[in-house]
Amino acid sequence: MSTTTPTTPTTPATPAAPAPAAEPPPTPSPRVPVVAPWSARSQRVVRWLGVAAVVSVVATVWLGLWVTPPDAVQHDLVRLVYVHPPIAWVSLYLAFGIAAVSSVLWLWPRTRSPFWDRLAASSVEVGTVFTALTLVTGSIWGRPTWGVWWAWDARLTSTALLLVLLLGYLAVRRVAGAPEARARRCAVVALVAAVDVPIVHFSVDWWHTLHQNATVLNANLSPTIHGAMAWTLLLGFVAFTLVFAWMLAVRYRIEVLVEGALAAEIDLALHERWAEGDDSPPPAVRP
Amino acid sequence: MSYIDAGYAIALAVLAGYGALLWGRRRRLERLMASAEEQAEP
Repeated sequence: MSTTTPTTPTTPATPAAPAPAAEPPPTPSPRVPVVAPWSARSQRVVRWLGVAAVVSVVATVWLGLWVTPPDAVQHDLVRLVYVHPPIAWVSLYLAFGIAAVSSVLWLWPRTRSPFWDRLAASSVEVGTVFTALTLVTGSIWGRPTWGVWWAWDARLTSTALLLVLLLGYLAVRRVAGAPEARARRCAVVALVAAVDVPIVHFSVDWWHTLHQNATVLNANLSPTIHGAMAWTLLLGFVAFTLVFAWMLAVRYRIEVLVEGALAAEIDLALHERWAEGDDSPPPAVRP
Repeated sequence: MSYIDAGYAIALAVLAGYGALLWGRRRRLERLMASAEEQAEP
């Protein structure tokens, strides 16, 4: 047995009013890329870094070509020592060191940040230029000293391999994909390539090579160079380090701007598609 | 041109060229972003 409760309408029935015409949704404008401008302080620091780099490079060239004495064995050819080792120092230790450490910090979940990915990518690109110059200046020095432009020597070959690995990193960087997946791929490639750095460094000790042993960073940590040559060489190291620092800062800024421009392009494409008749609002691509 | 001159010239020219390239690219992108922001402002 069931009981039914009569239902009474609580509101009187009214004739259905005609529905108002649906208003078109407001057209959202494409969002503006959120890229913070370079602060005045950053601009000032980068500007002075550039000035210091130019001044120190000019001083190195002046001392290296006109002031320092010729060598007893290599004569004037020794003047290339003020260019070639400092460039090699930047490419091998500085650029690759920053790229490797940044990649580890990106892969480590507690320190993961887009900053490390951008820094690694910027350092690798600038480091690629320096690595290519290391090979070119070394080859120019090798021709009158060894009699050949190139030899499949352990130091030269491992450095050439490093250049190929760096180019591989840049190629992987250009592969399309989600930013996080790209950063992970690049970090792994950078760490794989970093294995080559100690091989390059110790190649002159592990194998008999045409390339001379380390003069400054040798096993005894006692530089076998002295006087005006040593100071000019030291200035060369400082000068090319400053050049690298300036290039790294500018390249990092470019990385930030490119990311902003890419996000703006995506926003614009979504906006255009939405304006073509898709009623759903464009999804947010940025917070 | 001696090997020494060639070494210095190539190293400095490549670094100067790459530096100029970076500087120009950065300025172009900064202007692009600034003009995009100006256009989007109501």
